[in-house]
Amino acid sequence: MSFIPGIPVPIGGIEKELGKLWEESGDTKTRASLINLAIYNEKPGSLERNTEIIRGIAGEHAMRAILVQADPKAEGSSADAWITMHCYLRGSKGGSVCSEQISFELAGMAARSLQSVVFSHLDSDLPLCLWWQADFRPPIDGKLWRWVDRLLFDSRHWKNPKEQFDLIRQIAGLSEARTVLCDLNWARSLPVRQALAAIFDIPGTLAELQLLRTLELDYAHGSRTTALLLVGWLADRLGWSLSNPSLNPEFRDAQGNTIHVNLTEAEGASISRMRLASEKAEFHLLRESGSDLYVTTATGSDIATTSRMVRAPREETREILLSELSRGGRHPLYTKAVKVVQSLWD
Amino acid sequence: MPTPLVNPLREGIANRLSPEPCTLVIFGATGDLTHRKLIPALYNLAAEGALPPALTIIGFARREKTSEQFRKELEESTRKFSRTPLNEELWAQFASSIIYHQSPFDEAEGYTSLSKQMKEADEKHGTGGNRLYYLAVAPDQFPVILSHLRESGLSTATPGSWARVIVEKPFGKDLKSAQLLNTLVSEVFPECDTYRIDHYLGKETAQNIMVMRFANSIFESLWDSNHISHVQITAVEPLGVEGRAGYYDTSGAMRDMIQNHLLQLLTLTAMEPPTSLSADAIRDEKVKVLRSLRPLRGDDVFKHVVRAQYTAGLINGQPVPGYREADGVPKDSTTETYVALQVNIDNWRWAGVPFFIRTAKRMPKGGTEIAITFKSVPRVLFNQTGEGLDENVLVIRIQPDEGVSLRMSAKMPGSSLRIEPVKMDFHYGTSFGKATPEAYERLLLDAMSGDATLFARRDEVEEAWAFVDGIEEAWKTRSDDLAFHTAGSWGPAEAADLAARHGVTWRRM
Repeated sequence: MSFIPGIPVPIGGIEKELGKLWEESGDTKTRASLINLAIYNEKPGSLERNTEIIRGIAGEHAMRAILVQADPKAEGSSADAWITMHCYLRGSKGGSVCSEQISFELAGMAARSLQSVVFSHLDSDLPLCLWWQADFRPPIDGKLWRWVDRLLFDSRHWKNPKEQFDLIRQIAGLSEARTVLCDLNWARSLPVRQALAAIFDIPGTLAELQLLRTLELDYAHGSRTTALLLVGWLADRLGWSLSNPSLNPEFRDAQGNTIHVNLTEAEGASISRMRLASEKAEFHLLRESGSDLYVTTATGSDIATTSRMVRAPREETREILLSELSRGGRHPLYTKAVKVVQSLWD
Repeated sequence: MPTPLVNPLREGIANRLSPEPCTLVIFGATGDLTHRKLIPALYNLAAEGALPPALTIIGFARREKTSEQFRKELEESTRKFSRTPLNEELWAQFASSIIYHQSPFDEAEGYTSLSKQMKEADEKHGTGGNRLYYLAVAPDQFPVILSHLRESGLSTATPGSWARVIVEKPFGKDLKSAQLLNTLVSEVFPECDTYRIDHYLGKETAQNIMVMRFANSIFESLWDSNHISHVQITAVEPLGVEGRAGYYDTSGAMRDMIQNHLLQLLTLTAMEPPTSLSADAIRDEKVKVLRSLRPLRGDDVFKHVVRAQYTAGLINGQPVPGYREADGVPKDSTTETYVALQVNIDNWRWAGVPFFIRTAKRMPKGGTEIAITFKSVPRVLFNQTGEGLDENVLVIRIQPDEGVSLRMSAKMPGSSLRIEPVKMDFHYGTSFGKATPEAYERLLLDAMSGDATLFARRDEVEEAWAFVDGIEEAWKTRSDDLAFHTAGSWGPAEAADLAARHGVTWRRM
């Protein structure tokens, strides 16, 4: 491989080598860690890409990073390891704060025994966040997830979301697991959900929320699951039940009125436009191509016309991951939204 | 179909109360506080989408200017003082909600037209009749503004809406004036709608004191007179009076810092666990600490309190003038720029534990911290002489370099037994790299949401004044106790003696 993710070390002596690295780095460096972040990927070149991501976030969220590039289908067994540190200047005294990174390239048997590799190199007493960058495969192994505090994944990249969402719900249902599920795709939709929720804080608009008849949503190529999760969220929150599962599904509200949903692929941000309409009012959320702002507007015969702008965060993985790690907490509405999304495929 | 009472889309979005649509009227809108703190804080909240969806900001001040001029001035100051860069589009949108209202504070007509403006804003922007008045003016302006708010009916909320007032410190200059001010405010706004800002309480690290104490079992079990030898609370700065001489010379360090900020930190450090996290449950416990403070009066003041003034000296190698040489300070001023005091909290938990409080200008460096020094280990084993081991010290740094450190003893590597102090350090900036919001952002949002937890209650303010008044009264009887120290030094010898009487040395920060 052309990219070398640090100093090569024997796999049985990683902690010792990390200790040496600290001793050699002098006393102006401070080790900091809030979490263990393990990243699992099966694609060649992932160590380089993930090292770049860790370099981008370690300055704002100190951690011990454990990167794994695995080839579980390979013959035999091989395991290589590297260590490095990501350091950032802090304060005026010239000291720097460093996060450690351990990288593994595993093949065959070694790749299939992931637990022994990851668990033996955790920084003790700190939570384990496992970012699973591969497809989940049945059967779901409860032993692995029992030790994972937060399971990160990105449903945007799934080729077969129906099957993957099903496996995710199995993980969520494991009695021995206390794993918090963190879909980065759900995190990606958070600013949209926030901006949309804020529209209905305006007096007079709340009543219209129960009278919506149309939902239009424009999403970028590759972001259909983001759009579906938003639809699932709205349907769950507003008590809609699915009446017609199609590419542009229809729902019914508690009074039996039909809500038409129109999903359109369009250029721009992952979610670039939403329009919610009742008979008397319209609510828009718009992010112009290249803009870093969401503009929301509310108009209607019985409500004051209002327009609002809020900062839209960048949609890079680094930003979304950082936001998710900083926010913490559980996502009880996510599983509810997934339930609706799954019904679209049934 | 009945309208839902709460926005169902809000669930799971944020774990705090939502701010409600309102009109915010800032009295003293052309002043420093508005330009440096309030508008930048509001802009940052707007950029994050944290403000209520409908908000009108009305700047009420005496100077002649148009709304356009006012917005332009605010844009410039926000560009300078905002913690995030100014985005032109965002600013334009935010600024469109700002109106300038020119009027003297003592003219009824100004309030009539303000009322009209607010009603228009309600209709145009859906601010729902909610009013938040921010008194960013000198306290001598409070009576006239408050009485006009009452007479014009602006302080009375219409059914289904609210009217709140935010009062900036100082809340009076002694107990009597504080009571007078509080009575005046209470005649216009009920206590539940009165928000007294002490911006120290909006700081992340001040909020973390309670988290550290009550979310970690290891600290609270040691947090009493059985384990703690003494506590030092320090807030010092290298700056002088910096153009505030007019105010500062009538106030002094005791009123400017101790009565509010440092006594607030003391209460957070010494309070009992509240029964809940509600605003009143927390403030009840803080008030109990103030009530337990052993009063300092008469001769006791001169035994337990040291006041001093800085003289010319060097700060960072640069010569600086003495306090009496500063512009606007009388040459014979006896106003204290340094105060050190030792207080006792007469309750079960803190019996016999001296608390040392210190604040000063023109110190070698700036910082605010709370240092808890634990009792020494028994004089056996490693501490047979009682002099060899440093005590454990837990330091909560409020600013700068916010964090917590713990000093403990460890064996030096080697064949001989040598024990040295080592420090375990937690830095907010190291672990959480992201910038923390300004205190005013949190406090403004809380006032719009109706959460008074981080605001001082009437009885808190009055109890603090009652304690401070005893000292001020004694000081009025003589001035020969006023000590002097060179700017850039750590204070007068008298303060060192005060601590030494308890076997304590002031911490070198």
